[in-house]
Amino acid sequence: MSENRLGVVVDGTFNGGLTVRLEPGVSSEQLRIGNFVVVEGQRNRYFSLIADIQLKAADIRLLADPPRDNSPFVARALAGTSTYATAEVKPMLMLEKVSLPQTGVLDKSTLDALFAEGSGPQPVRTIPMHFAELREATELDFATVFGQEGGTNFAMGTPLAMDIPICLRLDRFVERSNGVFGQSGTGKSFLARLVISGIIKTRVAVNLIFDMHDEYSFDKQTEDGRFVKGLRQIFGSQVLIYSLDEEMGRRSGRNVDVTLKIGLNQIEEADIVLLSEELNLRQTAEATIGLLRDAFRERWLLRLLEMTPEELEAFSATSGAHPASVASLQRNLKRLQRQGYIEREQDFSALDDLVQALDRGKHVILQFGRYNSVLDYVLVSNLVTRRVRQRYEERTRRYEETQAASDKPRPLIITIEEAHKFLNPAVARQTTFGIIAREMRKYNVTLLVIDQRPSSIDPEVMSQLGTRVSGKLTEERDIEAVLTGVGNRSALRGALESLDTRQQILIMGHAVPMPIMMRTRPYDEEFYRAMGPQVPGGGVMDLRDLFEEQ
Amino acid sequence: MRIGEIIETTSSGFVAESFELNRPPALGSLVLVRLPDETALYGAVTYGQTAGVDPSRRAVRRSTDVVFDGAIYEQHPELEHILRTEFGVALVGFVAAGRLRHHLPARPPPLHFSVQGVSREEVCYFTDGLLYFRLLLIPYGDVPPQQVLAANVRWVYEQRGHDDIWLDTAAREIATLLKNDSAALLTVLYAIDPGDVPMLREQGGVA
Repeated sequence: MSENRLGVVVDGTFNGGLTVRLEPGVSSEQLRIGNFVVVEGQRNRYFSLIADIQLKAADIRLLADPPRDNSPFVARALAGTSTYATAEVKPMLMLEKVSLPQTGVLDKSTLDALFAEGSGPQPVRTIPMHFAELREATELDFATVFGQEGGTNFAMGTPLAMDIPICLRLDRFVERSNGVFGQSGTGKSFLARLVISGIIKTRVAVNLIFDMHDEYSFDKQTEDGRFVKGLRQIFGSQVLIYSLDEEMGRRSGRNVDVTLKIGLNQIEEADIVLLSEELNLRQTAEATIGLLRDAFRERWLLRLLEMTPEELEAFSATSGAHPASVASLQRNLKRLQRQGYIEREQDFSALDDLVQALDRGKHVILQFGRYNSVLDYVLVSNLVTRRVRQRYEERTRRYEETQAASDKPRPLIITIEEAHKFLNPAVARQTTFGIIAREMRKYNVTLLVIDQRPSSIDPEVMSQLGTRVSGKLTEERDIEAVLTGVGNRSALRGALESLDTRQQILIMGHAVPMPIMMRTRPYDEEFYRAMGPQVPGGGVMDLRDLFEEQ
Repeated sequence: MRIGEIIETTSSGFVAESFELNRPPALGSLVLVRLPDETALYGAVTYGQTAGVDPSRRAVRRSTDVVFDGAIYEQHPELEHILRTEFGVALVGFVAAGRLRHHLPARPPPLHFSVQGVSREEVCYFTDGLLYFRLLLIPYGDVPPQQVLAANVRWVYEQRGHDDIWLDTAAREIATLLKNDSAALLTVLYAIDPGDVPMLREQGGVA
């Protein structure tokens, strides 16, 4: 009998999970929904999650007539005997016992051997017999399931009650689009920064981050008043900063590499449709834009905005558009022209440079500065992404033709915040983001969507997300949305609700072998140091390099 | 120390006549029958009874306004001969070939053999395991088995010098045995609750 024994299996079904009678000495208060536990079968070790905990009585008459005086003696005698607790345990993975090292000592070679043989944890295909022992997971169990840090395994955090790393398999992570969720104040942007840091460090992909609130580049004050470093400060010149706001570059120590301008000629019909709500467009707008496009091709917006009332009349007369619709469209779209980053005409060279930077392995953060309204964010992100995706599509096609390793595009992850603006059911089919989310990694471009209201995102998109990282969620619909397409929802639902608001997350999906609750790694000096040595020259040196470049 | 003689014997227990009138061993206490082959049979007292030697004659009232209680026996010395005290004992285990067993012996103890009291050491030795509770729950005599069990636990607790750990273990064992009958279980638990142990009082006690 092991020291951390919790109980024995007394009932269960393959589909429904196992029922474990807790040991008399184990209090139901010791266990938490979603905890990672291990069932020791005869031949297999089952890595499982606690899905539910129930209080039971051997004689139900005792429940109708509980002991009347509060005698601790009687309560002690009854606890765990006549009154007891059971836990519903859901096996998630199993491991044949023969392949486990007999000693508790864990070294990398044993683990590597384990996984190399394909004898690592497997999907569950059996269940254990009666009286199999349930015990707390040990460090060895965590390491067996989640692997060890290093390579593309990136430590995301630690188990809630233990101090060993739980790793995210970043090579798998970047294969699909992913989501970071959590209600406001659960540290979504920190989580995203953690994941992105891992991606930069392990070089499994390049990042394009649409940074609506200027959170990713430079130091940023957290809610508890600390200043934490931005990605540029940690990774130096590996990270390029683009900005819409030319004033951003004037702040000391926060140099911006490129100030991006958008030309009216670059704005397409789809961009405008996406902004219907923000621009107050009528339902006829889409048809009117169609007519404008027919007449003026890609210069339609430019022409529309420059039309005099007489020209408007003339256009309406020749094209058959409703004059009032054209006029109101013109009025509404004039708002675009007033944004500081909009120019009359721009070629695509800046955006193509951006793609080339990504191609060289640089990571790009696009800051919005003072243009941080939803209008700006949606317009620019969609437009930039469309161009980037076109370029990636071309490259992928070329790679398919030549099959030369040098032509292989680097996997790209595009990070968007307020993701429901692009991916809500009404627009998800039209936006570039919606297309990327659905076609997955066909063109080596995937998304990292960050949102606090996952329920507003198109369910079809949600179901395509490979890995979901979620902080606490309480809204029923949001929990449902995050768990779309995930098995064992009841266990995970309980876990999501019970997370602390800070530093506790649930990760499930493609990049982890099984869903797991964890305490996230602190984003502090130690973290910067851990990220540092991988950067050529180190973080501080890099900053100096940058100044020299300019 | 001899305290009685077996006058009726079966596989599950025996009846013994007490050497002292009106003073059978305490309900629930452990007694011992030693056999010539070094086997020692352990039993627990399940009832005590005092009646006339001749079952056809019932006892009659002897007290007057001035002679009552103990004085009656001084006035009527013949009572020592026409009355007798007997007690029932349920067999709960035995020691044979140096091994303690908590189940029924192969044969009942021989008639007319002596019943002996049990020393503290022997109590501790016998009650370190609690499997004998199962035998105590089989009714033997008119006293409800839960009461016999409770009396035994109280007596052993005293003999073991108020061993609280033993008492907690015993209570949990009983809770396991009687889990399907909460009324019987609570009867026993209430009866063995020491209640006045300082440690328990600190934890809150009766509201």
